[in-house]
Amino acid sequence: MTIPLRTIAVAIMLSLCLAPVATAQQRKAVAVGNDLDRAQAAFQGGRYAEALALARRGAAQAPTSARALTVRAGMAEFMGEFEEASTYYDRASALTPDDPELIYRTASFAVRVGEYDRALTQLDRLLALQPTHVRWLFQWAPTYLQAGLLRDHPSLEHIVQIKLDILTEKGDLAQARQLARSYAIVRPGENYCAEAQAKSRDGGGEREDTFKAFRLATLAQPDAADCIWWYGQWLSDEGYVRLGRLMVIEGTRVTASAGNKESGARYLRVRLGGKREVPKRAEQLFLIARQRYLRDGDIDGAVRLFDESIRLSPAFARPYNYRATIAADLGDREAALAWLQRGVQADPDSWRTHRNLGKLLAELERYPEAEMHLRKVVELFSDDAGGRLALARVLYAQGKYDDFAKEARAAVAFLANWKAPVPEVRDFLAKFDRWGPGASLPPAPDPRIIIGWNYD
Amino acid sequence: MTDRLAVLLSIVALVLMPTSGVAETYRWIDEQGNVTYSDRPPQPKDNGAPALDAKPAPDARAPELKASDTKAPEPKPSAALPEMKTLELKTPESKGLTAPTQTPKRFEVKGAPPAGAMPRIGPTKIDDLLELAGVRVQLAGLLHRVAADLRPPPGQMSPADQAAIERVLAQSLRHETIYAAVRDAFRLQVDRPNLEAAAAWLRTPVARKIVGLEIASSEPGVEQKVADYAASLKANPPSARRLELLQRLDWVTGANETSADLVAAIARGLSSAVSAAGPQDSRLRPGQIEDRAAQVRARATETLREVRAMSMLYTYQTLQDEELSEYVRFSGTDAGRWFSISMHKALVGAVGRAVEQTATELVRAVPLERWARATTPARQAVK
Repeated sequence: MTIPLRTIAVAIMLSLCLAPVATAQQRKAVAVGNDLDRAQAAFQGGRYAEALALARRGAAQAPTSARALTVRAGMAEFMGEFEEASTYYDRASALTPDDPELIYRTASFAVRVGEYDRALTQLDRLLALQPTHVRWLFQWAPTYLQAGLLRDHPSLEHIVQIKLDILTEKGDLAQARQLARSYAIVRPGENYCAEAQAKSRDGGGEREDTFKAFRLATLAQPDAADCIWWYGQWLSDEGYVRLGRLMVIEGTRVTASAGNKESGARYLRVRLGGKREVPKRAEQLFLIARQRYLRDGDIDGAVRLFDESIRLSPAFARPYNYRATIAADLGDREAALAWLQRGVQADPDSWRTHRNLGKLLAELERYPEAEMHLRKVVELFSDDAGGRLALARVLYAQGKYDDFAKEARAAVAFLANWKAPVPEVRDFLAKFDRWGPGASLPPAPDPRIIIGWNYD
Repeated sequence: MTDRLAVLLSIVALVLMPTSGVAETYRWIDEQGNVTYSDRPPQPKDNGAPALDAKPAPDARAPELKASDTKAPEPKPSAALPEMKTLELKTPESKGLTAPTQTPKRFEVKGAPPAGAMPRIGPTKIDDLLELAGVRVQLAGLLHRVAADLRPPPGQMSPADQAAIERVLAQSLRHETIYAAVRDAFRLQVDRPNLEAAAAWLRTPVARKIVGLEIASSEPGVEQKVADYAASLKANPPSARRLELLQRLDWVTGANETSADLVAAIARGLSSAVSAAGPQDSRLRPGQIEDRAAQVRARATETLREVRAMSMLYTYQTLQDEELSEYVRFSGTDAGRWFSISMHKALVGAVGRAVEQTATELVRAVPLERWARATTPARQAVK
């Protein structure tokens, strides 16, 4: 996980900055340069769709410019247009087969779409471009020399980091750890887990630094169950469900606590699809689609990518939820309902899907069905106080007042431990106790007390 | 235009008295054409013929009370009167958006059937029930206030624009049309036994008295009276029992939630209309409009609660505690709750749609830019 979206963004920026304005004597080249400059400005301004359009135009005007083709490929990759990215990386590679930056980019792209063997081939090519003595040192020198070597040759560190990602994503954590140790990415005796937890507690630094710290802890300390678990949850929250799943499994395996083992198993079941693995490409399409919807407001683009993600991985529940969110956003609640029902069929233990479906049914006043799904929510995850309050509201709407009171009280008691007092619910319960049922439905706030559980 | 919501909050709170327990009342028109509602028949000096014959129904009985209805603990005397705030909800956002300064026109409801003609035997018609509940009249009050608040401050629009606005308001906020929408929405909720039980209660003398008070409170211009009354409460606070009864009334009718939902519906309607009139690339999606409506509702809830508490004190000031207690008891029955919930849905849906349609017509008749200019304070002349 060394190449999250931000890294790609930086790479695109670098490509755009290096665009061939120097060849601007010819009019066509000037036009290409202008397009790439404008693409750069658009990208910097967060107008990604415009940046991609300009990069496309630039590549179309200069089909023999490796840089223009690479810019287009990078922008397409950033926007989840993977077929286009693949095509233009290939075209650029055909023009400049030995360009180290391009080889690195194609390797990281291959990892992104789950083509690990192709990525490893590219990394071998990248290594082959190094001088012989460097290659020799990289392959045979003892660990104490490797730190300096990687510092002096950043492309070597890129190779190691991508290999670490490949090994962990393939589930070979033992070999990944050995690789990290042998290249001094982690040092023996250092408590990376404590450092990571301190960063997480302080909360002042960059989120990505905290993430990197937990990654190092996972690589360095095989017994650090809490940190491995945290890393897995962080990855899940961000949408990297494949690696997140592996890390949650590992954290659950190494923890000594029976309670944590149970919690880990539940997490895997209700949030990560249980035994259903999500192909890497489907995961990445989902992740980028979410960005295009939430960050860019690009509904058409997001819908296309979500649909492709569902096609590649029909049992992956998350894209269904986003399709439902978009449908509701566009005012089509029946379509939203249909997407959620499909999501529940795809993954019957998806806590988030049942939750969204139960709440939508409640909004539509289809209370018996809403109750069924919200009961499933609290069965899947009994600490979900917000889900329990939603269930309580639905029970109240059906005149099941005793059940309402029981669920609402359980939620209030749980939330009190989290310093989330929900005064409006307490006030409602007090009046209910005093005066019996009133005409209004009880409030059902959704306190965000558990990190990550609201990110799906 | 959404800035006008701050003003609308007070309208909604004042107009939406609990609607579950309302009855026939006396209504007459004097020589000047003023419509008067009262809980007493017209006296000779009123100089007008009664339009409604609202004799008490001697055979009507209040539904039997459940045991739990009488279990409320005896409230202790309390000086803990909630701090009264002025009912004027002028915020910085609402500058220049206040209602017109001219004397508000009195509203009139056409076609109200004489209550005395209502059948006492056989199934109660929905129109009869709504008439008994005073819905028609109170809706007129609500629409009058909505219209007043959608109207730009006097002198800020050109005469042509002002005339166009008046035309739209007269056409889009037509009382009969919106009343029909409320009735149709209410019809979807009908439950015959509850309807008959509600009608029986509404025919009782105490219910008729209550509806008279609620109608009087929905009249334009009542805000000042409420404010005066609020001021008088400092020297003469209500009893703890009265406060308890009113809180309980609010609880069993869910009236505060109705007010809040109505505010949200109005916000939704205005946002939707204004957004649709704006440039294509800045239009809000339905989900975004819903978010805004929810935000407005959340912001309004507490304010509404305060405004409403005062309005209730004012409205029922002449009611005996026992009468109020009867009202609370009925509202807590199945029939009472059914009526409150059904009316809530019908009113919120119909008024929300009406506001959206009106706002759409308003920005079609007078472009948004001219509305924006109308709310901008005029520059001072430079000598």
